[in-house]
Amino acid sequence: MKEFDKRWQICVAKARQAAPRPESLPLGFAMRVLSQKRPTMENGLEVVWERLAMRLMAAMAGVLLVCAALDLPNLRAAPWLKPGIENTVCQVVWKL
Amino acid sequence: MTEGEFDLAACLASVLEHDEEAARALVERLCPQVIHIVRRHLPKRAAEQDLAQEIFVKLFARLPDYQPQPAVPFEHWVSRLAVRTCLDALRAEKRRPELRWADLPKEQADWLEYMIADDSAPPESDAASARELLGRLLSQLKAEDRLVITLLDLDQKSVTEISQLTGWSKALVKVRAFRARRKLRKVAEIFQKRHVYERI
Repeated sequence: MKEFDKRWQICVAKARQAAPRPESLPLGFAMRVLSQKRPTMENGLEVVWERLAMRLMAAMAGVLLVCAALDLPNLRAAPWLKPGIENTVCQVVWKL
Repeated sequence: MTEGEFDLAACLASVLEHDEEAARALVERLCPQVIHIVRRHLPKRAAEQDLAQEIFVKLFARLPDYQPQPAVPFEHWVSRLAVRTCLDALRAEKRRPELRWADLPKEQADWLEYMIADDSAPPESDAASARELLGRLLSQLKAEDRLVITLLDLDQKSVTEISQLTGWSKALVKVRAFRARRKLRKVAEIFQKRHVYERI
Protein backbone atom coordinates (compact mmCIF):
# COMPACT_ATOMS: atom_id res chain seq x y z
CA MET A 1 0.00 0.00 0.00
CA LYS A 2 2.74 2.44 0.95
CA GLU A 3 4.72 1.65 -2.20
CA PHE A 4 1.63 2.25 -4.32
CA ASP A 5 0.98 5.55 -2.51
CA LYS A 6 4.56 6.66 -3.10
CA ARG A 7 4.36 5.89 -6.80
CA TRP A 8 0.91 7.44 -7.05
CA GLN A 9 2.29 10.66 -5.57
CA ILE A 10 5.17 10.65 -8.09
CA CYS A 11 2.63 10.29 -10.91
CA VAL A 12 0.48 13.06 -9.41
CA ALA A 13 3.51 15.37 -9.09
CA LYS A 14 4.30 14.74 -12.76
CA ALA A 15 0.66 15.36 -13.74
CA ARG A 16 0.71 18.69 -11.94
CA GLN A 17 3.55 19.81 -14.21
CA ALA A 18 1.29 19.50 -17.24
CA ALA A 19 0.69 22.85 -18.89
CA PRO A 20 -2.72 24.13 -17.90
CA ARG A 21 -5.19 24.73 -20.70
CA PRO A 22 -6.22 28.39 -21.05
CA GLU A 23 -9.12 29.14 -18.73
CA SER A 24 -10.34 31.97 -20.90
CA LEU A 25 -13.96 32.73 -21.57
CA PRO A 26 -15.43 30.69 -24.44
CA LEU A 27 -16.88 32.91 -27.16
CA GLY A 28 -20.47 33.92 -26.37
CA PHE A 29 -20.44 32.14 -23.04
CA ALA A 30 -21.47 35.17 -20.96
CA MET A 31 -24.41 35.78 -23.33
CA ARG A 32 -25.45 32.13 -23.03
CA VAL A 33 -25.40 32.31 -19.23
CA LEU A 34 -27.33 35.58 -19.16
CA SER A 35 -30.02 34.22 -21.46
CA GLN A 36 -30.46 31.33 -19.00
CA LYS A 37 -30.42 33.68 -16.03
CA ARG A 38 -33.32 35.84 -17.22
CA PRO A 39 -36.06 33.29 -16.75
CA THR A 40 -34.96 32.52 -13.21
CA MET A 41 -34.95 36.18 -12.22
CA GLU A 42 -37.85 37.62 -14.21
CA ASN A 43 -40.25 34.74 -14.60
CA GLY A 44 -40.07 33.35 -11.10
CA LEU A 45 -43.86 33.08 -10.96
CA GLU A 46 -43.91 31.04 -14.16
CA VAL A 47 -41.47 28.58 -12.69
CA VAL A 48 -43.62 28.24 -9.57
CA TRP A 49 -46.72 27.77 -11.73
CA GLU A 50 -44.98 25.11 -13.86
CA ARG A 51 -44.01 23.16 -10.78
CA LEU A 52 -47.48 23.44 -9.26
CA ALA A 53 -49.18 22.62 -12.55
CA MET A 54 -47.30 19.34 -12.85
CA ARG A 55 -48.28 18.39 -9.31
CA LEU A 56 -51.86 19.44 -9.96
CA MET A 57 -51.97 17.27 -13.09
CA ALA A 58 -50.63 14.32 -11.16
CA ALA A 59 -53.22 14.86 -8.41
CA MET A 60 -56.04 15.11 -10.96
CA ALA A 61 -54.89 11.93 -12.69
CA GLY A 62 -54.97 10.23 -9.29
CA VAL A 63 -58.52 11.49 -8.61
CA LEU A 64 -59.65 10.24 -12.05
CA LEU A 65 -58.18 6.81 -11.41
CA VAL A 66 -59.91 6.61 -8.01
CA CYS A 67 -63.24 7.66 -9.58
CA ALA A 68 -62.83 5.05 -12.33
CA ALA A 69 -62.03 2.38 -9.76
CA LEU A 70 -65.11 3.31 -7.70
CA ASP A 71 -67.35 3.26 -10.77
CA LEU A 72 -66.04 -0.03 -12.14
CA PRO A 73 -68.67 -2.30 -10.41
CA ASN A 74 -71.53 -0.12 -11.77
CA LEU A 75 -70.00 -0.15 -15.23
CA ARG A 76 -70.07 -3.95 -15.32
CA ALA A 77 -73.64 -4.07 -14.03
CA ALA A 78 -74.96 -1.42 -16.44
CA PRO A 79 -76.79 -2.87 -19.48
CA TRP A 80 -75.48 -1.97 -22.93
CA LEU A 81 -77.61 0.33 -25.08
CA LYS A 82 -79.93 -1.55 -27.37
CA PRO A 83 -78.98 -1.41 -31.09
CA GLY A 84 -82.37 0.07 -31.94
CA ILE A 85 -81.81 3.04 -29.68
CA GLU A 86 -78.24 3.51 -30.98
CA ASN A 87 -79.54 3.48 -34.57
CA THR A 88 -82.26 6.00 -33.78
CA VAL A 89 -79.75 8.36 -32.17
CA CYS A 90 -77.43 8.02 -35.18
CA GLN A 91 -80.26 8.75 -37.61
CA VAL A 92 -81.33 11.84 -35.66
CA VAL A 93 -77.77 13.15 -35.52
CA TRP A 94 -77.27 12.41 -39.23
CA LYS A 95 -80.45 14.34 -40.15
CA LEU A 96 -79.31 17.33 -38.11
CA MET B 1 -13.50 47.17 -15.89
CA THR B 2 -9.85 46.24 -15.26
CA GLU B 3 -8.68 43.89 -12.53
CA GLY B 4 -7.73 46.74 -10.18
CA GLU B 5 -10.94 48.68 -10.71
CA PHE B 6 -13.33 45.81 -10.17
CA ASP B 7 -15.58 46.61 -7.23
CA LEU B 8 -17.14 43.29 -6.29
CA ALA B 9 -19.62 44.64 -3.74
CA ALA B 10 -20.95 47.25 -6.20
CA CYS B 11 -21.11 44.64 -8.96
CA LEU B 12 -23.09 42.22 -6.77
CA ALA B 13 -25.48 45.00 -5.75
CA SER B 14 -26.05 45.88 -9.43
CA VAL B 15 -26.61 42.22 -10.36
CA LEU B 16 -29.28 42.00 -7.66
CA GLU B 17 -30.98 44.98 -9.30
CA HIS B 18 -31.05 43.03 -12.61
CA ASP B 19 -28.25 45.02 -14.23
CA GLU B 20 -27.17 42.88 -17.20
CA GLU B 21 -23.85 44.64 -17.71
CA ALA B 22 -22.89 43.93 -14.11
CA ALA B 23 -23.98 40.30 -14.52
CA ARG B 24 -21.83 39.99 -17.64
CA ALA B 25 -18.85 41.51 -15.81
CA LEU B 26 -19.36 39.06 -12.94
CA VAL B 27 -19.48 36.06 -15.32
CA GLU B 28 -16.33 37.25 -17.07
CA ARG B 29 -14.52 37.70 -13.76
CA LEU B 30 -15.53 34.34 -12.29
CA CYS B 31 -15.24 32.30 -15.47
CA PRO B 32 -11.56 31.22 -15.12
CA GLN B 33 -12.18 30.06 -11.55
CA VAL B 34 -15.33 28.14 -12.48
CA ILE B 35 -13.78 26.61 -15.63
CA HIS B 36 -10.77 25.47 -13.58
CA ILE B 37 -12.99 23.66 -11.08
CA VAL B 38 -15.20 22.18 -13.81
CA ARG B 39 -12.19 20.78 -15.70
CA ARG B 40 -10.86 19.15 -12.56
CA HIS B 41 -14.13 17.38 -11.74
CA LEU B 42 -15.83 17.00 -15.09
CA PRO B 43 -17.70 13.72 -15.59
CA LYS B 44 -16.54 11.79 -18.67
CA ARG B 45 -19.67 12.35 -20.72
CA ALA B 46 -20.52 15.88 -19.63
CA ALA B 47 -19.79 19.02 -21.62
CA GLU B 48 -17.52 21.52 -19.92
CA GLN B 49 -19.52 24.58 -20.94
CA ASP B 50 -22.86 23.03 -19.94
CA LEU B 51 -21.65 22.33 -16.43
CA ALA B 52 -20.08 25.80 -16.13
CA GLN B 53 -23.38 27.30 -17.28
CA GLU B 54 -25.30 25.28 -14.70
CA ILE B 55 -23.00 26.65 -12.00
CA PHE B 56 -23.55 30.25 -13.11
CA VAL B 57 -27.31 29.80 -13.32
CA LYS B 58 -27.30 28.43 -9.76
CA LEU B 59 -25.06 31.27 -8.69
CA PHE B 60 -27.47 33.92 -9.96
CA ALA B 61 -30.45 32.09 -8.48
CA ARG B 62 -28.80 31.90 -5.04
CA LEU B 63 -27.15 35.31 -5.08
CA PRO B 64 -29.98 36.97 -3.09
CA ASP B 65 -29.20 34.52 -0.24
CA TYR B 66 -25.47 35.30 -0.22
CA GLN B 67 -24.38 36.91 3.02
CA PRO B 68 -20.94 38.58 2.81
CA GLN B 69 -18.68 37.45 5.65
CA PRO B 70 -15.23 38.92 6.35
CA ALA B 71 -13.63 35.48 6.78
CA VAL B 72 -15.25 33.98 3.68
CA PRO B 73 -14.52 35.83 0.42
CA PHE B 74 -17.09 35.72 -2.38
CA GLU B 75 -14.78 33.57 -4.53
CA HIS B 76 -14.81 30.94 -1.82
CA TRP B 77 -18.61 30.87 -1.84
CA VAL B 78 -18.46 30.43 -5.63
CA SER B 79 -15.91 27.61 -5.32
CA ARG B 80 -18.12 25.78 -2.86
CA LEU B 81 -21.11 26.11 -5.14
CA ALA B 82 -19.06 24.93 -8.14
CA VAL B 83 -17.58 21.94 -6.30
CA ARG B 84 -20.99 20.81 -5.05
CA THR B 85 -22.53 21.16 -8.50
CA CYS B 86 -19.68 19.10 -9.97
CA LEU B 87 -20.19 16.48 -7.27
CA ASP B 88 -23.89 16.24 -8.20
CA ALA B 89 -22.91 15.85 -11.86
CA LEU B 90 -20.42 13.10 -10.98
CA ARG B 91 -23.07 11.32 -8.91
CA ALA B 92 -25.50 11.54 -11.81
CA GLU B 93 -23.05 9.73 -14.06
CA LYS B 94 -24.68 6.31 -14.15
CA ARG B 95 -22.04 4.33 -15.97
CA ARG B 96 -18.31 4.61 -15.49
CA PRO B 97 -16.18 4.19 -18.59
CA GLU B 98 -14.53 0.79 -18.79
CA LEU B 99 -10.78 0.85 -18.37
CA ARG B 100 -8.90 -1.40 -20.80
CA TRP B 101 -5.18 -1.76 -21.25
CA ALA B 102 -5.57 -1.91 -25.02
CA ASP B 103 -7.11 1.59 -24.98
CA LEU B 104 -4.11 3.14 -23.25
CA PRO B 105 -1.46 4.91 -25.32
CA LYS B 106 2.04 3.59 -24.61
CA GLU B 107 3.01 6.56 -22.41
CA GLN B 108 -0.02 6.04 -20.15
CA ALA B 109 0.53 2.27 -20.04
CA ASP B 110 4.11 2.95 -18.91
CA TRP B 111 2.86 5.09 -16.03
CA LEU B 112 0.35 2.48 -14.98
CA GLU B 113 2.93 -0.27 -15.14
CA TYR B 114 5.24 1.85 -13.00
CA MET B 115 2.52 2.29 -10.38
CA ILE B 116 1.72 -1.40 -10.03
CA ALA B 117 5.06 -3.02 -10.78
CA ASP B 118 7.64 -3.47 -8.05
CA ASP B 119 10.91 -2.76 -9.76
CA SER B 120 10.48 -0.15 -12.42
CA ALA B 121 11.67 3.45 -12.62
CA PRO B 122 9.34 6.39 -13.37
CA PRO B 123 8.78 6.67 -17.12
CA GLU B 124 10.28 9.53 -19.08
CA SER B 125 7.00 10.39 -20.80
CA ASP B 126 5.42 13.83 -20.68
CA ALA B 127 3.28 15.25 -17.87
CA ALA B 128 0.16 15.28 -20.04
CA SER B 129 0.25 11.47 -20.23
CA ALA B 130 0.46 11.21 -16.45
CA ARG B 131 -2.49 13.58 -16.13
CA GLU B 132 -4.54 11.62 -18.66
CA LEU B 133 -3.86 8.36 -16.88
CA LEU B 134 -4.83 9.85 -13.50
CA GLY B 135 -8.09 11.01 -15.07
CA ARG B 136 -8.79 7.50 -16.35
CA LEU B 137 -8.05 5.89 -12.98
CA LEU B 138 -10.09 8.47 -11.07
CA SER B 139 -13.04 7.92 -13.40
CA GLN B 140 -13.31 4.41 -11.96
CA LEU B 141 -14.04 5.74 -8.46
CA LYS B 142 -17.26 6.85 -6.85
CA ALA B 143 -18.06 10.57 -7.14
CA GLU B 144 -17.11 11.39 -3.54
CA ASP B 145 -13.86 9.42 -3.70
CA ARG B 146 -12.88 11.00 -6.97
CA LEU B 147 -13.60 14.48 -5.64
CA VAL B 148 -11.60 14.06 -2.46
CA ILE B 149 -8.52 12.64 -4.25
CA THR B 150 -8.63 15.36 -6.90
CA LEU B 151 -8.84 18.11 -4.31
CA LEU B 152 -6.25 16.58 -2.02
CA ASP B 153 -3.63 15.37 -4.49
CA LEU B 154 -4.05 17.32 -7.71
CA ASP B 155 -5.20 20.65 -6.27
CA GLN B 156 -3.12 20.20 -3.08
CA LYS B 157 -5.92 21.51 -0.86
CA SER B 158 -5.71 20.96 2.87
CA VAL B 159 -8.20 18.80 4.75
CA THR B 160 -9.67 21.98 6.29
CA GLU B 161 -10.17 23.55 2.85
CA ILE B 162 -11.80 20.41 1.49
CA SER B 163 -14.04 20.30 4.52
CA GLN B 164 -15.15 23.88 3.85
CA LEU B 165 -15.67 23.27 0.14
CA THR B 166 -17.68 20.09 0.50
CA GLY B 167 -19.40 20.60 3.83
CA TRP B 168 -17.99 17.27 5.10
CA SER B 169 -16.31 17.04 8.51
CA LYS B 170 -12.50 16.87 8.62
CA ALA B 171 -12.67 13.31 9.93
CA LEU B 172 -14.93 12.32 7.03
CA VAL B 173 -12.53 13.89 4.52
CA LYS B 174 -9.63 11.89 5.97
CA VAL B 175 -11.59 8.65 6.01
CA ARG B 176 -12.81 9.17 2.45
CA ALA B 177 -9.28 9.96 1.24
CA PHE B 178 -7.91 6.81 2.88
CA ARG B 179 -10.64 4.60 1.41
CA ALA B 180 -10.36 6.25 -2.00
CA ARG B 181 -6.62 5.54 -2.16
CA ARG B 182 -7.26 1.94 -1.18
CA LYS B 183 -9.87 1.64 -3.94
CA LEU B 184 -7.48 3.20 -6.43
CA ARG B 185 -4.87 0.59 -5.61
CA LYS B 186 -7.49 -2.15 -6.06
CA VAL B 187 -8.54 -0.70 -9.42
CA ALA B 188 -4.92 -0.70 -10.58
CA GLU B 189 -4.38 -4.27 -9.35
CA ILE B 190 -7.53 -5.61 -11.03
CA PHE B 191 -6.48 -3.83 -14.17
CA GLN B 192 -3.06 -5.45 -14.06
CA LYS B 193 -4.49 -8.94 -13.43
CA ARG B 194 -6.88 -8.56 -16.34
CA HIS B 195 -3.99 -7.45 -18.56
CA VAL B 196 -1.89 -10.50 -17.58
CA TYR B 197 -4.89 -12.77 -18.25
CA GLU B 198 -5.49 -11.16 -21.67
CA ARG B 199 -1.84 -11.72 -22.63
CA ILE B 200 -2.11 -15.44 -21.75
